[in-house]
Formats: sequence, C-alpha cells, structure tokens
Amino acid sequence: MSEGLADGVGVARAEHFESVAQQREAATLGIWAWLITELLLFSALFLVALITRIQHPEATIAAAKHLKFWIGATNTVVLICSSLTMSMAIEFSRMGWQRAMVRAMLATAALGGLFLVLKGYEYYADWDEHMMPFLSHRPFALAETPAARLFVNLYYVATLLHALHLFTGIALLLAMTWMAAKAGFLSRHQNWIEVYGLYWHFIDLVWILAFPILYVVNR
Amino acid sequence: MSASGSIGGTARREPHTPESTIGRKPDYLHAESTLRSWFLATDHKRIAILYLASITGFFVIGALAAGVVRLALIVPDGAIMTNDTYNKAFTIHGVVMVWFFLIPSIPATFGNFLIPLMIGAKDLAFPKLNLTSWYVFMTGALFTLVSVVLGGVDTGWTFYAPLSTAFSNTWVLPALIGVTIVGFSSILTGLNFVVTIHTMRAPGMTWFKLPIFVWTHYATSLIFLLATPVITTALILLIAERAFHIGVFDPAYGGDPVLFQHLFWFYSHPAVYIMVLPGMGVISEIVPAFAQKKLFGYRFVAYASIGLASVTFFVWGHHMFVNGQSDLASLVFSALSFAVAVPSAVKVYNWTATIHKGSLRLDTPMLYAMGYIGLFVLGGLTGLYLATLAINQHIHATYFVVAHFHYIMVGGTVLAFLGGLHFWWPKFTGRMYSEPWGRVSALLIFLGFNVTFFPQFILGYLGMPRRYATYPAEFQLLNVLSSAGATILAAGYIFPMLYLVYSLWFGRKAPANPWNAKGLEWETSSPPPTHNFLSPPEVPRIPYDYPIQAQESRDQHG
Amino acid sequence: MTPSHESLQLWPAAVSATATETDLLILAFTVLTLLLTVPVFVAITYFAVRYREGSEANRQPSGIRSNLIEISWMLIPFLLTLIFFVWGAKLFIQSKNAPPDAMVVEAVGRQWMWKFQHPTGQSEINNLHLPIGQPIRLHIISQDVIHALYLPAVRMQVAALPDRYTDLWFKADKIGTYHLYCSEYCGTDHSVMGGEVTFMNPGDYQDWLTHAGAQQGKVAAGRALYEAYGCAGCHEPGSAVKAPSLAGLYGSQVKLADGRTVTADEGWLRDKILNPNGDRLAEGYKQVMPSFAGRIPADELGTLIDFLKSYSSPAAGKAADATPAGATR
Repeated sequence: MSEGLADGVGVARAEHFESVAQQREAATLGIWAWLITELLLFSALFLVALITRIQHPEATIAAAKHLKFWIGATNTVVLICSSLTMSMAIEFSRMGWQRAMVRAMLATAALGGLFLVLKGYEYYADWDEHMMPFLSHRPFALAETPAARLFVNLYYVATLLHALHLFTGIALLLAMTWMAAKAGFLSRHQNWIEVYGLYWHFIDLVWILAFPILYVVNR
Repeated sequence: MSASGSIGGTARREPHTPESTIGRKPDYLHAESTLRSWFLATDHKRIAILYLASITGFFVIGALAAGVVRLALIVPDGAIMTNDTYNKAFTIHGVVMVWFFLIPSIPATFGNFLIPLMIGAKDLAFPKLNLTSWYVFMTGALFTLVSVVLGGVDTGWTFYAPLSTAFSNTWVLPALIGVTIVGFSSILTGLNFVVTIHTMRAPGMTWFKLPIFVWTHYATSLIFLLATPVITTALILLIAERAFHIGVFDPAYGGDPVLFQHLFWFYSHPAVYIMVLPGMGVISEIVPAFAQKKLFGYRFVAYASIGLASVTFFVWGHHMFVNGQSDLASLVFSALSFAVAVPSAVKVYNWTATIHKGSLRLDTPMLYAMGYIGLFVLGGLTGLYLATLAINQHIHATYFVVAHFHYIMVGGTVLAFLGGLHFWWPKFTGRMYSEPWGRVSALLIFLGFNVTFFPQFILGYLGMPRRYATYPAEFQLLNVLSSAGATILAAGYIFPMLYLVYSLWFGRKAPANPWNAKGLEWETSSPPPTHNFLSPPEVPRIPYDYPIQAQESRDQHG
Repeated sequence: MTPSHESLQLWPAAVSATATETDLLILAFTVLTLLLTVPVFVAITYFAVRYREGSEANRQPSGIRSNLIEISWMLIPFLLTLIFFVWGAKLFIQSKNAPPDAMVVEAVGRQWMWKFQHPTGQSEINNLHLPIGQPIRLHIISQDVIHALYLPAVRMQVAALPDRYTDLWFKADKIGTYHLYCSEYCGTDHSVMGGEVTFMNPGDYQDWLTHAGAQQGKVAAGRALYEAYGCAGCHEPGSAVKAPSLAGLYGSQVKLADGRTVTADEGWLRDKILNPNGDRLAEGYKQVMPSFAGRIPADELGTLIDFLKSYSSPAAGKAADATPAGATR
C-alpha cells in the first residue's frame, strides 16, 4: 500500500502497532467495517420505505409527486462532483501536493455545503406546500390519504439521517483540512485522507441509493 | 491449592519468567494513579476495568428490580404494590439487564482485557475508539437512568409498538434514546475486535491457533456489526413514531405494528448469541485448564461458533409464531430454529469429552463451568420445546419462556461471567481471591438459581402468563418457592462482591499463572504491564498445549 | 371468582383433543430431553470424581477417531429432535385450519378488557360461555395495542392485532370453567385483562343464551366497562383524583357549580359522560373529567348507565360484580 506514495508522504506508526503496514491495514479494515454497519442502518430504512411503496402504491406515488425531483437530481450531481474532488484530494495526498490537496478538500466541503443548502431549500418548499405531516399544528396537504403521510415521514427520517451524516462529514472534513494545512501532516497522517475519503464516498453512495428509492421509482 | 509450579516435566518451559519483570516497569494498574489516567485511559485493560465497574453497577440495579418483581409475586392479588409499580420494575429489570449488563458483560470486560493478550498484541487496534465506546455506553446509560429517575418506563424491554408509541404514559423516549446510543457502543466494540483479530495477531498466531475465546468473540463481533444497525433503525423509527407520530407502526396510517417486531427480533435474536457466545468462549478456556487437557474437537468448536453466529440471523420469526405470521413463515422459522441445536450440541459434548480422562481440579471457576454446562443444556433444550410450533401455541408468553431464557442468560451468561471473573481475577488484579468462599458462593448460586427458575417451567406449562402483576391463587405456592430461591441467589451474588473486593487489598499476591493454564495471557505477569508483554511472546505449536493430549491432536496436527 | 383448582397443581386441565395431543407431544419430547441430557450430567459428575487430580486413572487416549464422534453427536440428536418438529408442525397446521362448520365468536381486545359476541348477538365482557362438542372459531381483533387471547385449557393463544383479524379454533369436549387471559403485555392492567371461559353442554349453552347471557351478565358487564374506561380510577373512594363517588348517585339530587340542582336521571348521566364539564359540573369539583363522546359506543354507554343505575352503594356494587360470575357455575 505504501507503494505509489511520494517521498516524505507516509504514516507515523502508533506505539501499539508493530509496523506501518499493520496500522494501515487496521485502519482500512476498520473503516470498511464501519461503513458496512452504516449501510445496514440505511438499508433497513430503505427496506421499510419499499415495503410502504409495495403496500400502498397509489398513496406513495401521490406523495412522491410532491418531492422536488430536480432538486434531488441536482443534489445527486453535486455529491458525485464532491466524490470526484475528494478522490482528487486523495491522489494529491499520495503525490505529496499538500496545497492542492487542501484546496480539493475545501472544494469537497463546499460541495457538501451546497447539497445541504439545496436540501434546506427543498425542506422549506415542502413546508410551504404543507408537506410536513409530522408537524401537528400544520395541516397536511394529502391528509385524505393516510399512507401518504407515512411515506412522507419516512422520506424525512431517511433524508434527515443522511443530512446528519453529511453534516458530520463536513465538520470532520473542515477540522481535518485545518490540520492538513500544517507542515508535516502528510508525512505523519496521509492515511487519514484515504480513510476519510472512503467515508465521504459512502455518504455519496447512500444518497445515490436514496434518490431512486425515494424520488424516482415512486414517480 | 493452586500451585504455580507446572505439572512435573510435561509443561513447556516458559520463555521469560515473570519475576524478572517485577521492578523494571510498573504493571498497568500502577502505571499511573490519577483519576484522569483512568477516565482518559486508552489501555484496553484499564478500559476493561472501567466497563467491569460500570456493568457491576448496572447488574446491581437490575438485580434490585428483580428483587422488587419477586417480592410483588409473593402474593397473588397484587397487595404489595400497584400494577404500575410492578410493570415498571420488570421493565427496568429487563432493560438494564439486557442492554446494560448482558450484552456488554463478557465482551466489553473480558474480551477487552484478554483479546490483545491472547493474540499477543500490545493493545486493540483502535485504543481511543475503545475509550469512546465506553463513553458512548455511559451516555446511553445516563439517558436510561434519567428515565428511571423521572418515573420509569412500563413497556417491557421489548418496547412493542403501539403500546410504546401511542399508549404508554411513562418516560419511554429517554429510555429509547439510551438504548439506541448503547447500540453504537456495541458496534464500536465489535468493530475494534474484528479489526484487532484480523490484523494484530502476533507472528505465528494463525487462525487455528487462536483460543476458542477469541473465536467466539470474533463471531460475537460479527453479530454486533451486522445486527445492531438494524435495531438502531428500528429504534430511530420508534422514537420518531412516539415523538412525531410518523405512522410507520400505526395501522391508521398504513403502518404495521408487527413490522417493529420483525425489525426488533432481527437484532434481538442474534443478540441472544451476543450474550451466549462469549460465555461459551469462557467455558472453553476454563474446562481445559482445570482438566489439564487439550480441548476436545478444537476445530469443531471453532466452526460451531461461526455456525451459531450465522444460523442465528435466520430464526427471528420464532418469536412471532402466534402473532399473526403466515403459517409457512412459522414452519420455516421453526425448522431453522431446530438447526441451532447442532452447533450447540457440538459445544456441550466437546466440553464433556474434554473432561474425560483429564486431571480435574474442582476450583471455583471449574464449578461455575460445570454449572454452566448443566444449565445451558436445560436452557437450550427447552428452547427446542418453544421452537416446536404446537407447544409454542401453549407456552408462548408464559413463565415457561421466562424460565427458558433465564436458564440461558443467567445459567449461561452470568455463570460464565462469574466463572471467568474468578479464573482471570488473578490476571486482572494480581491478587488471589478466597477459594473456600468462592466455592461456597458458586454452590449457593447454582442452588438458588434452580430453586428460583425451575418452578417457573411448571408455572408456564400450567398456563401462567408472564408480566402479570396479579395471578390466580393456585399459582402462589410455586411463586413463593421461586421468590425464596431468589433470596438464596441474591446471597450467592453478594458474597463474591465482598470477597473479591476484599482480595484487592488483602488477597495473596497472584503468580503469573496460578492455574497452570495455557494461553498467551498467562505468559505475562499478573497484572500485565502496560503494553502487555515485555518481550514478544512465543506462540505455542498448537492451541491448548496441555500435558494431557486428546487423540485427535495426532489426527489434526500431527 | 377463580375456577376451582388445587393450591398446588402439577398438570393443567386439558379439554380438547388437541390439548391432549399437545400434552403427549411435550411429554414425549421430555423423554427425549432426558435421554440426551442425563448422560451428559452423569458423565460430568462421574468424570469429575473418576479423573480428579491425583486419582489413579488411565489417562491414555482411547484411540477413537474424533471426527466420527463429532459428526455422530452433531447429527443424531438433531435428527431425533426433528421428529418433534414434524409432529409439532402437523398439530400446528391442523390447529390453524378451522373446519367450515365452526361456530364463530367475535372477540375484541381493548385496554383492559375482552368483549365477546356470540353468533346469536349476545355479548359478554371478559367471560366467555361456549358449548362443547362443536368446533368454535374465535375471530379476534384489537381496538388499541397488541393483545393476545390465551386459553390454557385448550393449549392455545393468538395475538389480537389492531389492524387485522386473527383466528383461533378448537373443539372442547369437557365441561368446566377455566382461565382466560391476555398473554401479550398491554400496559397497566394487563394482568387483570381476562376472566373465565366456561364450557357447557349444548343444551345448557342454549339456556344460557336465552337467560343469563341476555340479562344477568349485564350489570357485571357494566362494571367491567366502568373499570375498563377508567371511571373507577377516579370515581372509586380512595383514588388519587378525588372525583365524586357514583355509588347511589342515580336518582339523587345533585347540586351543580352554577347553583342549580338537578336529578341524576338516565339522560343526565348520559350527558354527563359524553360532555362532563360546562354547565353540568357538580358543586365543589373542578373541570378535570375528559369527554367520552366518540370514545364509547352507544351500546356500551347503555350498559354502563345500567350499571350506574344499579350501583346504589359500594357494597351493592361489589355484590353486583360477584353475583353473575357465581351464577355461571
């Protein structure tokens, strides 16, 4: 794994590891294990949404028509671009181009931020259209179809959970960018970028699953 | 009693004598003594002690709640307390014992302490994550305790919707949030173990040289990783349902309350093996050590651990035979549940065969191990009764179920926990406990346990439903017997707490290997130094390299 | 109140052929259990003595190949237990398919009472009277949380779900009175949500339908409603909420908060339950009672008022509660 790294780029061995290779292997396996559990977390949620769709197709379609398809589609593109910039950051870190890496990371965080802004606007539009059935004081636009309420609520649970992951991801990314801008970072913690990159791609992947399951198949 | 010398001539010479380590570097307990050094510890052994102290506290809370339950059931008409108090007592008992004692009990304490030692590593792969998982655990515990202090919860530990979402007027939300958070601590611990076992093994420590304890913890960790996220989702939906009434478990909005049961048991049945497998690992260490004989059928026992962890994902439906599940689903789940008997039988028969022609010492850990085998067998086979569809229709949700899972959880996990605690106590603390007191307590617990729970099998078959604050008068005699047994059991629990704590200051200093046991954890001093081994440990030729070898060692390793 | 049982009973009464066969199944299974476990227990004890440290015993390996042993003790117990899977499954499928000529009794579960309705229209609360010698199918649903109807005497239970019907059928062949429970935990009064099932000769059952079923059960049914709707929780003496006692209320003069005096007749009781506050508030009390409009069906409201009419004093109320149950035996 350490092949393909430029001079002066690497990982400082923590005391309890025998070798850097072991440390890298542990970090990679660890993040994959974590991502598998996260994927299962979302999968259970998507499964419930699909069960709802199968049991109440008309209500689900009626509710899905209110989702802002184009905002969702734009957000998909935004996140795919952010995965691209994150991959560039990883590549730059391997080559030891610290400044370029920091810029790519900032671009990634900015795209993540853009996603959240668009999502926030989408939520606002939903609110405006009376599409927030969990608010007890605000009447729901599709009150006559009870299962629509269920589907819309599931949409909120799934997208809020994803947004929470993205928000945490951006916070971590900014903190790491701040550290990565300092001299010597790449010689000690290059694998942080690699490990973090996997997490970012995962957030992207969850949205790529969520978008068709919530927006597309129900139209 | 336990001589530190090896049995004449047969034991392999230890490469480094523990005496030489004394005075060179302090052990992990004495490395630092500030409060900060404990609460910010990254040493897996210290974190194990933090867990041990916390789960002991939760065990006491859970046991007190059980005491309240048994007190209430002395009389049939509910004269001692209101139905509400009773319902809250059994809910607290269940929630605390399952989520805050049984699930973390052996993995988070012994697993944390011993896995790096057993595989010859300096620590777990992610020490800071390990500490984080303890803080996550305590945060979850705090939420749950807040709900208890505010007035309690009355939904039962299973939190079935719609009772928990729309009908209960108690503090369900904080308890649910607490349990959700604790799930993350399980995930982090499991992740740490999986990565450690994969990547941190000492040179020469191949998979089939790992102690069964490590195998069972590996299997347990896989369940942590693959099942816990599903209960997290289920609980998040349950929280959203209760707080915002999203409709997912409410038939009025097209939701389905039984869906929660499916999601719940998809985790909670595997969770039974989170509680059982580590105990099997403990027994698989104790039995060979006190028989001084190689574990019989090592590979079968190792595969059986993985087998149990796999089968357990496909049997959750056996909790719902009478809940309107389709008949076909019930048939399939029933048949699959019978398959669980195969790996379980492998374990029990192999332990028994290990004792055969051994050189037995009946010290406290071995007494617990023998008790475990007996009670686990009874608990396991009564599980097959419950998996039998026609019988299940009668004894589902009766005291038969209560007796069955207490035979597994208390007779199994708690006895293994206590056995392991005594077995590794010298390693954890560097002190020997009082052997006579240990044996007396072990016998008291075995006796008290059976008097408490055996009558419940009969009560269940007679048709006494569980979770009943009041019951028909004809069941009183058996209930009083059960409550009487609980007092014996309580005495059996109190003694170890006293003499173990006493031994911390006044116990005899423990040698590195008081039981003359095999395994890398016994190759270092008691208690071990901060990074476990002063020189890299030498991995033995075969696992369980005891003086008396079973025939198969020639078949499989020769 | 309780069916006549010994203080220490070791085997439950079985009133149907399925129940008897279930008993046979569990007994046979127990024999197998003993065959599988007793050798383990005996072996452990024997080995513990025979091979204790320092004893003179032959510890030479016996030379038996272990793979063969392993496979035999993996498969033999498993195959033996499969017999019981098949037997249990057969019995289960049988008990899931009710014969078409079964008499259908509707059962509704609610926190915390059961309501049964006979095919001829009579209904009863918590107690159930059934004829023997005829297949009976209980058609079960819940109005709130998940409950489960459990009849130990026929060895059967099934959940009462809020969104769909479940069925439970059996054919009793012995007369007698047995327990009837809720077996799925359903909240505060879970343990009192139940009563008795009485199996009667078909002739007695017809008799019961025409007399007791229509008349005598009514006051007891009203009392059950009085408790199930939570009236008792506030209006019984000694409750935490000091609401006025309803014993002897019917027909008496009540002073209201606005100074008027009214006679507590049937109409006033009805209004008071459906719209308790406003200008109907009794003097000296606060507006705390919730409205039951829309929460209590008309027929149950009638039954409840009938009970209140007969509820002349606390003692009389208790008697009213005890009588019909006694009468059914």
